[in-house]
Amino acid sequence: MRGSARLTALLWLALLAGAGLVIHHSLRISGDLRLFMPAPRDAVGRLLLQEVSEGPAAKLLLLSIQGAPPEALAATSQKLAAALRADPAFGFVSNGEQRLDMVPDALLPYRYLLSPTLDSNHLDADYLRDQLQERERDLASPAGTLLTPLLPRDPTLELIKVLESWEPAHQAQQLFDVWFNPAGNAALLIVQTRGAGFDPARQQTAIETLRRHFADVRASPAMQLTVTGPGAFAVIMQGRSEADARVAAVCDSVGMVLLMLVAYRSIRRVFLGALPLATAGVCGLGAVAALFSSVHGITIAFGFTLTGVALDYPIYLFSNEQPGVRPLDVARTVWPTLATAVAAVCIAYLAFLVSGVLGLAQLATFNIAGLAAAGLCARYLLPRLLPVGVRDHGTGMLPTALVSLSSRLPRMPWLAPVIAVIGLGLVLGIRTPWWDNDLGHLTPVPEPLLREYETLQQALGAPDVRYLLALQAPTPDALLAREESLSRQLDGLATQHVIGGYDLASRYLPSSAVQLRRQAALPDAATLKASLTQAAAGMAFRPDLFAPFLADVARARTLPPLSVDTVAGTPLALTVGALVQQREGGWTGLVTFTDVQQPQQLAALAAGSHGTIQLLDLKQAAEDLVANQRQRILASMAAAFVLLIVVVAVTCRSLRRMVRVVTPMALSTLTTLAILHATGVALNLFHLIALVLAAGLGLDYGLFLERAGREPAAHRRAVHAVTICATAACVVFAVLGSSTLPVLRSIGITVVLGVACNFVLSQLLIRKEHQ
Amino acid sequence: MSIVRRTALILTAGAAALLALPILAAADSGAPDLDALLQHLARPAPATTPFVEVHFSPLLSRPLIVSGELVYSGPDSLARTVEKPYSEHTEIHGDEVSVVRAGGKPRTFSLQRAPELKTLLSSFSALLGGDRQQLEQSFTLTVGGDDAHWTLDLTPRDSRVSQRVSRITVNGAAGSPRCMTTAAPDGSLTVMLMAEAARTQVPADIDRAGLEKVCH
Repeated sequence: MRGSARLTALLWLALLAGAGLVIHHSLRISGDLRLFMPAPRDAVGRLLLQEVSEGPAAKLLLLSIQGAPPEALAATSQKLAAALRADPAFGFVSNGEQRLDMVPDALLPYRYLLSPTLDSNHLDADYLRDQLQERERDLASPAGTLLTPLLPRDPTLELIKVLESWEPAHQAQQLFDVWFNPAGNAALLIVQTRGAGFDPARQQTAIETLRRHFADVRASPAMQLTVTGPGAFAVIMQGRSEADARVAAVCDSVGMVLLMLVAYRSIRRVFLGALPLATAGVCGLGAVAALFSSVHGITIAFGFTLTGVALDYPIYLFSNEQPGVRPLDVARTVWPTLATAVAAVCIAYLAFLVSGVLGLAQLATFNIAGLAAAGLCARYLLPRLLPVGVRDHGTGMLPTALVSLSSRLPRMPWLAPVIAVIGLGLVLGIRTPWWDNDLGHLTPVPEPLLREYETLQQALGAPDVRYLLALQAPTPDALLAREESLSRQLDGLATQHVIGGYDLASRYLPSSAVQLRRQAALPDAATLKASLTQAAAGMAFRPDLFAPFLADVARARTLPPLSVDTVAGTPLALTVGALVQQREGGWTGLVTFTDVQQPQQLAALAAGSHGTIQLLDLKQAAEDLVANQRQRILASMAAAFVLLIVVVAVTCRSLRRMVRVVTPMALSTLTTLAILHATGVALNLFHLIALVLAAGLGLDYGLFLERAGREPAAHRRAVHAVTICATAACVVFAVLGSSTLPVLRSIGITVVLGVACNFVLSQLLIRKEHQ
Repeated sequence: MSIVRRTALILTAGAAALLALPILAAADSGAPDLDALLQHLARPAPATTPFVEVHFSPLLSRPLIVSGELVYSGPDSLARTVEKPYSEHTEIHGDEVSVVRAGGKPRTFSLQRAPELKTLLSSFSALLGGDRQQLEQSFTLTVGGDDAHWTLDLTPRDSRVSQRVSRITVNGAAGSPRCMTTAAPDGSLTVMLMAEAARTQVPADIDRAGLEKVCH
């Protein structure tokens, strides 16, 4: 390389590295799945997305401690829970312990407003006498010591009634005061992280903190902690994607270097071939960083994958070198073809910009900027760094063999129609499911991990995740009142075994009407004191023992009712906050269920509510969302295809030539689809993206071959270029196809299939015409 | 676990403690030698004994006194019946506990939820079985006094148990135990009179000094 060329190359690299650094620092990477979802069109969709990405359920981690006798596990569970409760990184921590000190002092007088006792009783002398008698009997047992601290303040044990009513309908079994699995060999905990479930970085920090606390408190090193839940999955998947990507990067780099060395026998060209790719990556990332506030991790991964098309550009340039011809002249000759290829793909990506899916718009931006930069780099930078050509790659063994092979084959005018018919027949004829509508497959978690999670979820009696009822009301209090009347209907359904149980906010926080009614039933200080004196007459209790009780009741008489706002900072806040949410224009309450036996009965209840109650089938909603997203992607793909054809037709200035360029690509896409469909693969978002990429590569091959025209030497050079391009793409995506992650595997396999079809079909269909 | 359920659990633990007493009553030797004492305390099922329990509490101006009967029908089966001044029946079969109080709904639950109470129960079974080894896993045992007036102290080793019971003392005179005193960390004290002593008429305003006399 000449000195000035070397300097230019190094300067360019330095520029790219600098730009890369700047972008790296300004880039905000988000793991929010919603970037890849279409904007939800209804309340159910919005709710679903919220639940999926930042709902309380998505932030829950389920922990299991094993490897010691139950008593030691329970002790460690209690210590771990205490450590986590003291750590601000965690919101809600529960291990089954029910501690009276969990209710803050300020909330204690509210027990008379929260407990249903006053709905059927009055705090009169008769009721108090019954209660005091029971307490005397409690004290006349060895258990009396447990009541000692509570009795003076709460002789009716109202606090215990309230806490018992808050216990979940189905709980995990308890040993030594804490939750255990049914086998009794693992202590269980539920922990809510502050960070969102699909934010792998924050989840990873949380899990590391968690493990550090565990290491500090565990009684013996034999004790093992298992962490599972959406957040833990996000961390595991990120780790595995990164590991797979590293392996793929190494394999791909080695493969590319070897391929370029074999193809061009020049180390310089290996290096120069990587320049447009690097340029595409940096420019694409820069464009996304500049135009969007945060970039989805998937955008970056797929963006780099899709800009792999940019490798075609230097290859096309190198393959068209001829002895004695200045590289700038070569570039000028191939530029119309190259420019068409770049422009067609870029314009096609415009369709994704308006898809309404933010992640796809980012992907389109990444690719338009990246590919345009790579094309310009191949046109204006590379020729200045290349020496004058010494070899005509078209005369090499491979293109010569390929050309002579294809020229010996008979003309097959029936080939394209036959392939089209067979492909369409397979696509339309086979009755396997077309689409994979499972939202979960967008972030696929390995089966054993899911099973582990489900087992823990069952052991903890976690609610059914499929069905929810949603109620709307203008104010939180109106919502609670509606929930109270709904509770009566749901109690009926529970006795008919339509549902196993249910949970809603009004169970924890009665409406202000109910609280005020109970408050009005509380006697005034003088009356209560007289009743109490009368009730305790002849009993063994110390005089004035119950002064704290009198004080609490007097306080309860003047308290403003507890509300969604005022529970903030109490243990109720988390429970109520998960079940009541403020949304635009009002408040939404959720009802969760356990063991839904007859969902149609819930649907009937919702149908009979005149629109005030909706039944949410989260599974159905998720599937609708994916289907909706796919429709938009398909529409974008169709629009992209039309744009592509228009660009090619305009630049070819001939309908016939346009058909020749586009036919192999269209048939290859059809064939790939047919093969996937015939082998029983249900298509998801990633297959569609892979098909777009394969089509982009196929378009390049068609253009390169078609534009070479009738000159045999030029045709052979084009064959050389296409062969190297296709081999490169197959190497890269075969590595991806061998990944352990289903997402990467489906992309890899689809692209390899598509590229192979494109290569074979473009060779067969775009032969030298008069041979 | 709720306090209500826990209350019932401890009631049953108390029942087991009471159970130990008739066995002690059956002992025919007052020797302060621990092995010999335990040997004499051991007794096969079924066994029945009356009891009188006096409860002192910092919340009460006078003690609560209840009396009734204890039935031991095997290692996993115990019943404690309070007859005066009200009726209450507690039964343990294996891990299942049920409590019925006059006019109330029966409450049942599993001892699995609080295995430290199981420890307490099985210790008393060990006492009945004369199993010193198992007993010493849960308690530190001390024997004091002389053959005429002996004392057996049981101090819990497990911190969970000691949160509920700080010490259990058994007093006996000559060949028969008379009282079991259970002290709790909060200052309350339960004295159970058994066998011969259970026939004593206990005045409603008895104090601790008065009970000391009955026990010795």
